[in-house]
Amino acid sequence: MKPSALKGLSVMSLRNRIALYYTIATGFLIGIVFTTIFFMVEKIVYKQFDDQIKKEISEIFDDSDISPNNFQGFDSFRDIDAEHNDEKGDHQHEEEKHKKKKLKLDPEFIQLVNSNGEVINKSASLSWCVLAFQPNQSGTNYFNSNFGGSMVRQAQVPLTNADGKNEGYLIVAVPLKNALIVLHDLKDIFLFSFPVILLPLFLLTRSIAIKSISPIEKVIATAERMSQSNLDQRIPLPFHHDELYRLASTINALFGRMQDAFQREKHFTADASHELKTPLAVVKGTLEVLIRKPREREHYETRIQFCLKELNRMARLIDQLLMLARYESNKMTPHIVVTALSPLVENVVERMIPTAQAKGIAITVNQENNAHISADPGMLDMIFENIISNAIKYSSSGSSIAIEVKHDEGNVICSISDQGIGVPAEKLNAIFDRFYRVDESRSSSTGGLGLGLSIVKKLADLQQIRVSVNSVPDTGTTFTLTCQTAESPYPIELPC
Amino acid sequence: MRLLIIEDEPGIAGFLKDGLEEEYFAVDVAYDGKSGLDLALTNEYDLLIVDWMIPAISGIEVCRQIRKAGSLVPILFLTAKDTLEDVVFGLDAGANDYIKKPFEFEELLARIRVQFRNKDRADDSLSAGSLTINPVTHQVFAGSTEITLTPKEFALLEYLIRNKDRVCTRSRIIEHVWDIHFDSDTSVIDVYITFLRRKLEAAGCGNLIQTIRGVGYIVRETGMV
Repeated sequence: MKPSALKGLSVMSLRNRIALYYTIATGFLIGIVFTTIFFMVEKIVYKQFDDQIKKEISEIFDDSDISPNNFQGFDSFRDIDAEHNDEKGDHQHEEEKHKKKKLKLDPEFIQLVNSNGEVINKSASLSWCVLAFQPNQSGTNYFNSNFGGSMVRQAQVPLTNADGKNEGYLIVAVPLKNALIVLHDLKDIFLFSFPVILLPLFLLTRSIAIKSISPIEKVIATAERMSQSNLDQRIPLPFHHDELYRLASTINALFGRMQDAFQREKHFTADASHELKTPLAVVKGTLEVLIRKPREREHYETRIQFCLKELNRMARLIDQLLMLARYESNKMTPHIVVTALSPLVENVVERMIPTAQAKGIAITVNQENNAHISADPGMLDMIFENIISNAIKYSSSGSSIAIEVKHDEGNVICSISDQGIGVPAEKLNAIFDRFYRVDESRSSSTGGLGLGLSIVKKLADLQQIRVSVNSVPDTGTTFTLTCQTAESPYPIELPC
Repeated sequence: MRLLIIEDEPGIAGFLKDGLEEEYFAVDVAYDGKSGLDLALTNEYDLLIVDWMIPAISGIEVCRQIRKAGSLVPILFLTAKDTLEDVVFGLDAGANDYIKKPFEFEELLARIRVQFRNKDRADDSLSAGSLTINPVTHQVFAGSTEITLTPKEFALLEYLIRNKDRVCTRSRIIEHVWDIHFDSDTSVIDVYITFLRRKLEAAGCGNLIQTIRGVGYIVRETGMV
């Protein structure tokens, strides 16, 4: 196909293309059927003529009392036409008349030629014309030829003498005129009806295609209406549970997921901007008020200290946000090695103890020995630190935090339980969301940033550690990390 | 003028209170929606500054409840929510103005002044007889003579002039000029009125503030009847 034609096809609408392909395929089949019918009819017609000619020939041979295989010379055929017709003259008058009439309507032509094609004798009906001759034919041969401007069907019978030598041919022909008109008309009808059938077929197919793909139009219309502000648009589902129904429901599900993602992103953006803008507003406002009037040195110092504290909080928040962003874009890959859990947990607890003690919270650690897991030690450290600092944050003075590490069917289970305020069951799923806080005030009185547990979840996912959480409000929360056991790189020290 | 700030972020509430008090406002602070709403409904404030995202009851709901109670007190929304939808939603909930965080303190002051602006005057200044006061610069003029007042004296005079030709009871004056931490000993008003009268008399406006015995005080545009 030419490029322009290809381009034309590529911009053609689906309904036109379906109609076109369908019409081409059907047109091809109709063409084959028409051609087959035509040739079959033609064959039947010629066979009838051939039968007629065959009959004629046998009559001639009967009349002249010779056989084509024992040819005695052309003398016996001297007056073939008269003889043949005289024979008929012996019949009853009425019958003769009928035959003559028939003869006139469908006159037959007889011609004798020698083996070189020279005419020896011919019937009177031929007058001055000569029938076509095909030399060197061994058997009886039927063919069409042009005779005096009109077509005839003729047979050429070889005449051989007793020795099998070819002496000449008997050629018998009948006009094809009426039969040709029939065949010609049939051809005309076929040629005319072919486009006449194809055009309505195309239009019909097109309208069926339009109806069949109308749900697609709805899909397109809905998708076009869709924008960030109206993500709640859905495609109306078609009545039949067919492929288009599945397409529509699949796209609807996609829209749903998109809407959720947009919602989450919007939520996150709103939360992040709140969390970042608040300390900024505090620092800015405090300094603006501070600079309006001259003040005592002590006043300046307390306000500047306050601002520094806010800025540090903001810096921590930005760090965590960036860390989360890096993990989420998978730019950071964990460096997984066989890690001994005990020293790592002890290390984190040691760091957290001053904060816990300041709040009057005790931390107890109960570890089974030789717990080794495949993990990134740095990330694991961060997971423990976040969970423990979270536990400290939401626990009150006098309570305790219990950390337990044990083996369980090829896994290492670490649990961190506090006796803090707990999380209501319906909010448990959301605690790993960025900026989620059970207390919706997002007050900074707890000092939290709302990102700790999202980071825990992300880091755990990266290392294939399962994090689960159980909580009873006002009783406490337990975080459980399920890690796969790794073979210890060192030989286990057995007690002697 | 007495304001209520409903803001859960102590840092923001803190500097707002400091800054506004320096501008001679009496300022109360509520750290959550519920206590804020209680304060707003039980006290007569001249203006509320409300954060949107606050614990217990959201700023929007606080705003709706106040409007439902029939109060027309000016409400300024102060929030980090900054999309067009948020602004429209906030204003439609009944807020008079909407300030996005982070904001300029000077802008906040200007927007507060807009809410107090006299409907029939082009500028922010207030006057009674020959006395003119400027709430922006906190200057007071009797004719062309400037009178120097302490912040409390200024706030008291501003309140009386804003409510001129109306009797201001002692309890109303306490409510609007002093903040919630002040024990409602109304005799302090008499002391400040005495100071004010002394300073005004020196400038030739001695009879501006009149006593309504047993009730309170009044400033009349036309002077003594």
